[in-house]
Order: sequence, then C-alpha cells, then structure tokens
Amino acid sequence: MTTAIETSGPSIPTTEPTKRRHVLRRLLSSRGPSNVVLGIIAILWLVPTVSLIIISLRPEADFSVSGWWKVLFSPTSLTFSNYRVLFGQGFVAGGLLDSLMTSLEITVPATLLVVFFACFAGHSLVFGRWRGRDVVFLTIVGLMVVPVQVALIPVVQFYHELGNLFGLNPYGTIPGVIIFHVAFGLPFGIFLMRNFMSGIPKDLLEAARMEGAGEWKVFYRIVLPLALPALASLAIFQFIWVWNDLLVALVFLGGNAHTPLTIFLYDQNRELQANYWIISTGAIVSVVVPLIVFFSFQRYFVRGVLAGAVK
Amino acid sequence: MANVILRDLTKQYSGNSAPSLDKLNLEIADGEFVCLVGPSGCGKTTALRMIAGLEDVTSGEIEIGGRVVNDLPSRDRDIALVFQSYALYPHLTVADNMSFGLQLRKVPKAEIEQAVQSAAKILDLVDLLKRKPAQLSGGQRQRVALGRALVRDPAVFLMDEPLSNLDAKLRVQTRAEISQLHHRLQATMLYVTHDQVEAMTMADRIAVMNLGVLEQYGTPRELYNSPNNQFVAGFIGSPSMNFVSMHINRDTKQVHLTGVSADSNIKVTLTDEQSDVLRKSDGDDVVVGVRPEHLSERPLDHAGFSAAAKVEVIEFLGNDEHIHATSDGLDLVAILNAQAGVARGDSITLSAPHDTVHFFHVQTGAALR
Repeated sequence: MTTAIETSGPSIPTTEPTKRRHVLRRLLSSRGPSNVVLGIIAILWLVPTVSLIIISLRPEADFSVSGWWKVLFSPTSLTFSNYRVLFGQGFVAGGLLDSLMTSLEITVPATLLVVFFACFAGHSLVFGRWRGRDVVFLTIVGLMVVPVQVALIPVVQFYHELGNLFGLNPYGTIPGVIIFHVAFGLPFGIFLMRNFMSGIPKDLLEAARMEGAGEWKVFYRIVLPLALPALASLAIFQFIWVWNDLLVALVFLGGNAHTPLTIFLYDQNRELQANYWIISTGAIVSVVVPLIVFFSFQRYFVRGVLAGAVK
Repeated sequence: MANVILRDLTKQYSGNSAPSLDKLNLEIADGEFVCLVGPSGCGKTTALRMIAGLEDVTSGEIEIGGRVVNDLPSRDRDIALVFQSYALYPHLTVADNMSFGLQLRKVPKAEIEQAVQSAAKILDLVDLLKRKPAQLSGGQRQRVALGRALVRDPAVFLMDEPLSNLDAKLRVQTRAEISQLHHRLQATMLYVTHDQVEAMTMADRIAVMNLGVLEQYGTPRELYNSPNNQFVAGFIGSPSMNFVSMHINRDTKQVHLTGVSADSNIKVTLTDEQSDVLRKSDGDDVVVGVRPEHLSERPLDHAGFSAAAKVEVIEFLGNDEHIHATSDGLDLVAILNAQAGVARGDSITLSAPHDTVHFFHVQTGAALR
C-alpha cells in the first residue's frame, strides 16, 4: 500500500494524513485495541446481570431509595438477608425452594426423556433398514415449525378428553406439563441427533457388526459415544427451554399450589408494586441451575470426536 | 483357515439394468493370497462385501470352509475385513480397537490381553496401544486396522484397498509387510485393489475383473505372459501394452499382416505357428499387442514386430526411460535403457521378438493363440 502511494505521487515525502492512517491501521491490526473493544462490550453485557446480583444482595428498603450503583460507593451495605428469608421459608407451597423443586421436577424428566427418545430415533432414522425413513424424518422436521401457542388449547382439551375416557386427566399435573414439553422438544431433538449421527461413517458400524456386535451393541458402544457432543448440546438446549418456560406452565399448572420458578417470579409482579427483592433473588437462583448444567456438560463439546475414524 | 468358493455369485442392484457382479466363479485355496483387481466399478468391492456379509446375495453361493454362508450374518462367518477407510473406533484406544471383537465375544481378559500383545508385537504397535486413532499417522492407523483383524484369528482375511490412503513410499513398505504377514500366518487372504502393481507383487493368484465379469484368474506370471484377452493384456503391466490394429492377408500360403495404410511404418512378421492361428481366426482384422518393455531400439535379426517411429516424449526414470513415439499416427510406448541415447525428435525403429507379440480378436478381444 505504501509503495503505491509513493509511486503515484513522484518523490513526494510521506504526508501527515497518510502517516496517521498508517498508525491507525497498525493499531487496528494489532490485538490490543480489539481486545479493549471486546472488553468494553463484555462489560456492558454484564451490567444487567451484575446489577441483578447487587439488587438481590441489598436490603429491601434500599431498593426504593437509591439505585443499585450506589453500592459501588458503600459495599458494606450488601447482605444475604434476602436469600436468608426466602430459603428460610423452607419447602412451603408457593415458596422459592418449593418452586425450585417443582422446576427441577419438570425440567429433569422432560430433558432426559427427549434425549432418550431422540437418540433412539436418530439411530433408527440414520442406520435403520426400513422404508420411508426420509418421509418420517421430513415429517418430523415439519413439526418443528408448529408454534407452541397453536397447540395449547387442543392439548388441554385432549387432556380433558383423556380424563373423560380413562379417568386419567394429565391437566394441572406435573406429568401433564412434562408430556407437553417432551412432545414439543422431540422434533428438534430428533432433527439434531439424526443429522449428527448421519455424519458417523457407516464403515464404523459395519466394522462393529462384522466383529459380532448386534444392533444394540452397535448403538451403545459405537454410535452413542460418538454422538455425545450432539447429545450434550441437545440436553443443554432442552433443559434451558423447559427451565425458562412460563407459558406452558401457566396454561397447564395455573392455580396449582406447586408452580415452577418462572411462575413464582411472575407472581411477584403485584398490581401496585412488584417485589423486586424477591424477583432479583429468585432470578439469581433460577440462573444458577442452568449454569451448573451448562458447565457440567460443557466438557463433552469436544471438537473433532470423530477425528481418526476413517482415513 | 479355510478355502473360499464363489459359485455364480451375482449382485443386481434395483434400478440398475446391468448386474454389478455377473456370475462370478472363483476358488480360493486354503492359505492362498488372492487379489481381486480391476478398474473402479468392476464389481470387485461388491464381491468382497458380499463375502463379508455386508451386501445381500442376489443369486449364487458363497462357501467358506465348506459351509455355505449366504444367509449367515457377518459375525458368524469367521472372517475379518480391513476397510479402505480403516474404520477405527475414534473413541477407543488402539488396544480397545483391537480387542473390541474379542470383548463382544466375552473372551477372558487374560486371553484378550495376550492376543492384543502378540498382534501388537507383529505389527510394531506395542508403544501405541494407549493412543487414540486421532493421534496416529496414516500408516499406524493402517497397522491398527490390520491388527484388529489379526487379533480375531479369522479363517479368512478380507482387505478392501487397504493401502490406497497411504503415500507411495509407505505403500511399498506396507505391501511388503502384508506379504510377510501372509507368509507368516499362512492365512487365506482376499485382497481387493485397483492397482495392478499391488496385485502382481503380493498375490499368489490374481482375478482380473471388468464390468462385473471375471476376465481371467491365474498367477501373476500367467496373466502377464498369456493374457486371455485384450483387457487383461492392457490392464496388467505398466506402462500398458501397445495395441495396433492390422489387416489379415490370407491370400498366399503364408498369412501376412499389413498395416492400415499402404505405406505403413509398422511391420509384423509371423512365425508358422502364428500364421496358422490367424488363418483359422475369423474376421479380416486383428489387434497386435506388444509390451513396452519388449520393444528395443536396436535392430533385431528376426523381429516379429517393428515400427519406424518418431520420438515425441522421453520420461527419464534413472536406469531406463519411457519413450513415447508415434508411428502411423499411433502412440507407442517403449521402455528403453537410458544409456541408449535416444533424443526427442529422433527417428528410430522399435522392434520386438516374435514370442513377445500377442494377437487379439478385434471384436471380442479374446487372445488368439
């Protein structure tokens, strides 16, 4: 570039603006400035979370008096009293701990069941030897576009119908919510597992079969270990979706004594004044669980698990 | 150890008009090393996969060790297959890769350990047993794939182009290793390759295939010296055999061959025997074949084949060089000694003795002899 500038204007010494451009370019191409910019963005991104943590650590009375940033000047005012009060209630219906348990009761089975079924379905759709696999797969992909909202009322009616016919009405029960989440999580789950598994070289399965592995052994000794990264991401996705769900829980569990955290937080929005100390504290608690799930599954996101399989 | 017999083995994929494998008959003796060789799409891999039990048999029979295995699943056929892609389990260590089959068979741990150790020793893998496939080089992976077959001590080893992913140098080395391994185990081995050099160097017998049909089955020497047809003649040997179309002139007592044009630069003289053969053959034309290595730039007293040609390209290979020369508009290849001093643009006469000249039927390609 510099030579181009110099040759275009014969024997003109480097002028002031070009020198400045030079410096700017060098600045931009080095890592320092981009790190600074990224750092600023990261800090901005963290502000809401940090403020939420601070609010949850301030006495209730302070909230209406001053903004959370005042804490930066007097850190001693922070206290765990909000947490102490909410956890101190124990497992009473409608309390924080009870809601936490209810959330787990819904989310854990809803996640495990989706992962469980999606693995089998993926294996069968990729490695099974039956006609119409592609049609079934495309149908399942088609189901992914059905919005939850469309299905809420029909499913409620269907649940009531089940109650009329068999005396087993899942409406208003935790299994009812789980079934709904599993049904709506499966299309994406199957989509993800099927697509990942179709990347597993068929030679591996043939080799295993030749060595004496039946379909079941092929599945859990070869396919499942290799599909672990997809399985981990599916588990995280599904867990977070179900954990953060408010709509389905409201429709199917509204009025139930035991409600998940999302409804617990939602209920703190009172008509005249919201209980911000409970919301902030509860929100922090509700963030911690998905974080634990994320970090515990994160190590399975090993890239290139399939490296060295073939060729 | 066992022999393998294929009887009229046929594979017809639905949707294809021609069968991928058409009535293949092959007998592989106990302890024999047989290469299936042919261009891609000739059905050699299909045949191998059918023997392995990975493809259904359309018709015909596969017999391994005196037992028809058509309807037996792969795992009950007592065979091991080395895949072209190696197909190593990426999440398992080398040791686990090798012992996978034995683990499935619930072989006692001590026995597995011993089998893996002895195979690892043979293949020089002892130091790599704890590694994962991703941490191995191509050659090492290839050896692990061999080791996995070795550990199971199968009746028949099947290999599907196991060397095609290795670089040229490693390929030559591994070729020798596999030959040694065969010698040591005295196992029945069926080896699929498209590389005729591999087949020639390793096999006891070679089955040359083309378009789903077995063209010839014999020892490397038989295939080289007396190919059954033009395809085999052209496929075996490198560079490929030179083919020249000539006209048969049966007018006189002695049969004469004349070139396509009146003033042809290519001349073929026949022995009495060859003359008889060509007299009996049908058709007015014949394909004459001469291998590049049989052509010489020195004049011969009684040349069977001679061609006045102009040198176009010289490929220097060290001890000898490949000469591409044109004669009558045909490209002839000859392997000459590099000391011969042939230069580009030279006019030379390439000649070959009587007994190295092959004749093939123009239409069927069958050898005339």
